[in-house]
Amino acid sequence: MRGTLAVYQKELSTYFRSPIAYYVVAVFLLGTGYFFLYNVFLTGETTMAGTLQNMGILLLTLAPVISMRLFSAEYGAGTAELLLTLPLTPWQIVLGKYLGAVTILLLISVGTVVDLVPLYIFGTPETTTILAGYIGFVLLGMACLAVGELFSVLTHNQIVAALITAAVLLGFWFVGHLQDFQRSDVLRSLVGYLSFARHFTDFIQGLVRTDGVAFYLVVSAVALTLSASYLQWRR
Amino acid sequence: MSLPPAAIVLESVSKRYGSRTIIRDVSFTVGHGEIVGFLGPNGAGKTTTMRLIAGFTAATTGRVTVAGYDMATDNFEAARRIGYQPERPPLYDTLDVSAYLRFVAKVKGVRRAALAGEIERVTAACHLEAVVRQEIYKLSKGYRQRLGLAQALLGSPEVLLLDEPTAGLDPAQIQETREVIRDFGRSHAVLLSTHILAEATLICQRVAIIHHGRLLAIDSPSGLQRAIAQTNRVSLQVTALAGELRAELLSVKGVTAVSMLPPDRDGQLTVECQVDVGHGIEAAIARAVAARWDLHRLERQAPTLENIFLQYVADRPNGSEPA
Repeated sequence: MRGTLAVYQKELSTYFRSPIAYYVVAVFLLGTGYFFLYNVFLTGETTMAGTLQNMGILLLTLAPVISMRLFSAEYGAGTAELLLTLPLTPWQIVLGKYLGAVTILLLISVGTVVDLVPLYIFGTPETTTILAGYIGFVLLGMACLAVGELFSVLTHNQIVAALITAAVLLGFWFVGHLQDFQRSDVLRSLVGYLSFARHFTDFIQGLVRTDGVAFYLVVSAVALTLSASYLQWRR
Repeated sequence: MSLPPAAIVLESVSKRYGSRTIIRDVSFTVGHGEIVGFLGPNGAGKTTTMRLIAGFTAATTGRVTVAGYDMATDNFEAARRIGYQPERPPLYDTLDVSAYLRFVAKVKGVRRAALAGEIERVTAACHLEAVVRQEIYKLSKGYRQRLGLAQALLGSPEVLLLDEPTAGLDPAQIQETREVIRDFGRSHAVLLSTHILAEATLICQRVAIIHHGRLLAIDSPSGLQRAIAQTNRVSLQVTALAGELRAELLSVKGVTAVSMLPPDRDGQLTVECQVDVGHGIEAAIARAVAARWDLHRLERQAPTLENIFLQYVADRPNGSEPA
């Protein structure tokens, strides 16, 4: 636990002493602000549904920027040699780094709460639906960051890590569209189940379903397990 | 608790990456309170051996034991007892010196109450007091190198592994760093790799010579000198005809090989004889040469560590078995 905490604290320090965290937070909040203004003031819709949907897509492009440096930067700077020879288990390293990235995710989520102020002043939004949407957003983000961490473990190049992560996340997002091309019911339901977008839409509509929560948590757990296993194996 | 006999034990260790063999059947030990120097040319396998002992990579065959723990099965326990300074200082540029050392100390299990004292101890030992609040990316090469050493010293590990610890330091810093290593080595096991042969003579009780992934020799500097003394070299300058001189020299008992440079403007030949006997060989050569030609200079080359190292490495260019 102590090792995980030390890695987590180090991660947060390095995030905020480099421009990456500020860049991600700024781009995300500006983007979300624009989508909010467009969805609420131009269409007159007093819900967060449209904005949350856009936040999800924006997250797919920004999560790789948060996760790309997790391990690739350590390989590049030669600090992996320190990290992997200190008394830390692969799980402590993977988890400490993951929690650091998730903290950035929580920060940008909290940052968007400011958009709710005019929503509550000028309308009567459904609090539980918004809350469900935010739960879905955080779970989606956790899965995206875990997948990003896996590709960062696998490559020494941060840009390559980010590009592969973005491609894989977009694949997971749009895989649901393949449902229409499947004859087999099993394949149709499998492709639908693998869709990041389908589960996220449920949350935005106010449905916190067990299979949706489990899906994102399982994706995160599998990606983190593969990362820790790779670190162990690469010795 | 009684300490195990050796802090570092390598038993027939080999490391392969695909079809390339980097380390071949290397065995040696480093005891507690001993400093062992690791010498070898670039690409000899020094860094890979260090990484094997530090647990960064695992041996393909053989066994590495550190502080009594097998690196293949108990590397976590072993890591708690190892301080490792890789060849390239492993520093987080965006952190300041204090935050960096605090991170390493926490991971090494230094208690919260002892953190400040421990960081103060290593910064003082490595002369880092002036930069303790500075961001690492602003540090000079010398400070970066010393910070790499400071993190290795945190927690007073049983075993200290230092890969080129004085590279990039100025002469005064080299002196200070050697003092730190010497002090630490009095009660801990230290394995350090170096290109500087004098460094090995000055601070190491034993020296290991590695080449093409093979351990060629391991002994005290004086032991290596004794071992090599029997295959020494005698150099001389003579005004003579090359062919006749070569034949004469090879007829002297104990001379096994003769190499010559072309004559200089004055017609003097510079000759080097490989000899395999101890006392009296210089006199025998001098008598044989001076009887027929003008002998201008004769000198028996002292077996310095540099000569020994070069001889070991030159004699076994293809990683063949040591004699």
